[in-house]
Amino acid sequence: MATKMKTVFISKLKALLDALAEQMDLYVPKKAGEHYVYSRYDPASDRPAEFNNIRTCPTIKEFLFPLCELAAIFPEPLEPEEIKPFAVFGLKDCDLRSIEILDKVFLEEEFRDPFYQKRRENMFIISSDCFEPGENCFCSFVGGKPFAQDGFDLNISKMRDGFIVEAGSQKGEDFIEKHHHLFTEVPEALLAERNENRAKTQKQLNQNNAEFRLDKPIKEIVENSQDSEIFDLDAKGCVECQGCTRICPTCHCFYLYDTKQKDYFGKMKMWDSCMRTAYAAVAGGENPRKVLGDRIKHRLMHKFSYFLDRYGFDMCVGCGRCMDTCAGGLDTRVVLKKLNEELKDKKKAKVSK
Amino acid sequence: MNENPYQPINGEIIEIIDESSTIKTFVIAPEEKFKFVTGQFVELTLPGEGEAPFTPSSSPAQTKKIEITIMAAGRVTGLLHRCKKGQMVGIRGPYGKGYPVDDFVGREVYIVGGGVGLAPIRSLFLTLVDRIKDFKSVVCRFGAKTPNDFIYKKALLGPWQKIEGVDMKLTVDKADGSWDGNVGVVTTICDKSDVDVKGAVAVICGPPIMMKFATLKMIEFGFKPADIYLSMEKNMSCGIGKCGHCMIGKYYVCKDGPVFTYEQIKQYPNIWA
Repeated sequence: MATKMKTVFISKLKALLDALAEQMDLYVPKKAGEHYVYSRYDPASDRPAEFNNIRTCPTIKEFLFPLCELAAIFPEPLEPEEIKPFAVFGLKDCDLRSIEILDKVFLEEEFRDPFYQKRRENMFIISSDCFEPGENCFCSFVGGKPFAQDGFDLNISKMRDGFIVEAGSQKGEDFIEKHHHLFTEVPEALLAERNENRAKTQKQLNQNNAEFRLDKPIKEIVENSQDSEIFDLDAKGCVECQGCTRICPTCHCFYLYDTKQKDYFGKMKMWDSCMRTAYAAVAGGENPRKVLGDRIKHRLMHKFSYFLDRYGFDMCVGCGRCMDTCAGGLDTRVVLKKLNEELKDKKKAKVSK
Repeated sequence: MNENPYQPINGEIIEIIDESSTIKTFVIAPEEKFKFVTGQFVELTLPGEGEAPFTPSSSPAQTKKIEITIMAAGRVTGLLHRCKKGQMVGIRGPYGKGYPVDDFVGREVYIVGGGVGLAPIRSLFLTLVDRIKDFKSVVCRFGAKTPNDFIYKKALLGPWQKIEGVDMKLTVDKADGSWDGNVGVVTTICDKSDVDVKGAVAVICGPPIMMKFATLKMIEFGFKPADIYLSMEKNMSCGIGKCGHCMIGKYYVCKDGPVFTYEQIKQYPNIWA
């Protein structure tokens, strides 16, 4: 078992963030309308940072795998540029698990993406506990929690009179060590209170999702629903905006796109979406998923079956951003619940025969 | 190996061979020696214009130049067809898994090919012929739309027919005055008596519809799905199992293929489209 990481207490968040910002570029959540977005930390501002009770609207993938980047140039080879160390504050457990998923894809042994790797190695992660799970949050369906489990350098739990700061890595330990004067010890009672807070949020999350509870593991449900018409019915609501894939913290489709610049040719790496009609089409004209319902099914299969077969866990963290953004009002939980009910009905029909 | 998997190595088109009205073979000299396993593919970049996946049609034994046979089918292939000798190109790869030729040793190899699908098959054929005594026999059943659409025509009608250990038959969908061979789709020249299915392997490459019917034919002959090798055409973009375009079920065609056994992929929807 790993040795217990340092856990300390700080009364003012600003002191911690100032210390971080001294060492690296720091990004913090800021309220924009009803959502939180990331912005560069400005210690001089009168409201330099807020504690986000819920995940931000943009995803952490934007820091690691930007919308568009130069991946190769011609004829001289391109090496990834040096990345300055940077820190992001306010990640939730769902965000941490989305990083774990992207790591599997981009840091895979055989072919590492050197651009992703550079950013990943230079990112300092400060996560925090959730307090207000959104109406679309369903992390508990896919092994998530409303508080960080692992994958952070520091985790912050908001308490009545301050914050519990917990290290989750050597980098985090070193930071606490270096800035020990900022912190005090955490009384046992406060840790107990943190557990109570966490349990309360967990309960709230479970209540929100009670109506969507499934009878079988999601993998089993989607794999047994290959012939279901529900995907095609759902497709009627979809307006093909691709928003679900863009806002998804785990979707990582991209395409390589060649461009002519003034004095070189560039190969760009740009986000793509499996919801796009011609996404899988080949030059000869064949398209295995020209029907929208098939694309919706493929996306769910990739998330809950194919990825799992390959890497051992779901490619969904239950953050609910796809539902927040869906212009057609589609809800992954509703789709899964419908498939669940359909399978139950099928089973019943079989038995009564 | 290149540290940046998106960075191609440079190459020059040193020869262009017209194969048919829509198909050309490009002979490319890469800046450095290029090794691959037959059936693996490369990503060919026309700088500033685009990139597309192709399986080389040359023998892997030839490392100083590679040949890529390309049908003008889309934007990038159309532009490639307009290129002249001396054009610089980029090559990434080789990627994926090729034909497991060593597993074919001592067995009959039954190859069904059609149209531009003969490109990967040419590479395999040359590889097999190099060590023809290792195989019980190599049976080839190739088809094209018309006699003019046959690529590698000279070799097909001449020297390849005469190789000992090779049994070759050709067919066209539609004949013209010059053709006195079989007329009909490729499965019309496939006969159960061609091959002792027990211990044999089938290799199929061609347009999707042909691959579908040839596969069904092989099943009818008694081939096990695990003994039918298919070279799958998908729109591989990154080539390294990340970008998602070429997925068939859980497989990335670029990494786990492009050569699959029918057994591996038969459970997934729309594999022939």
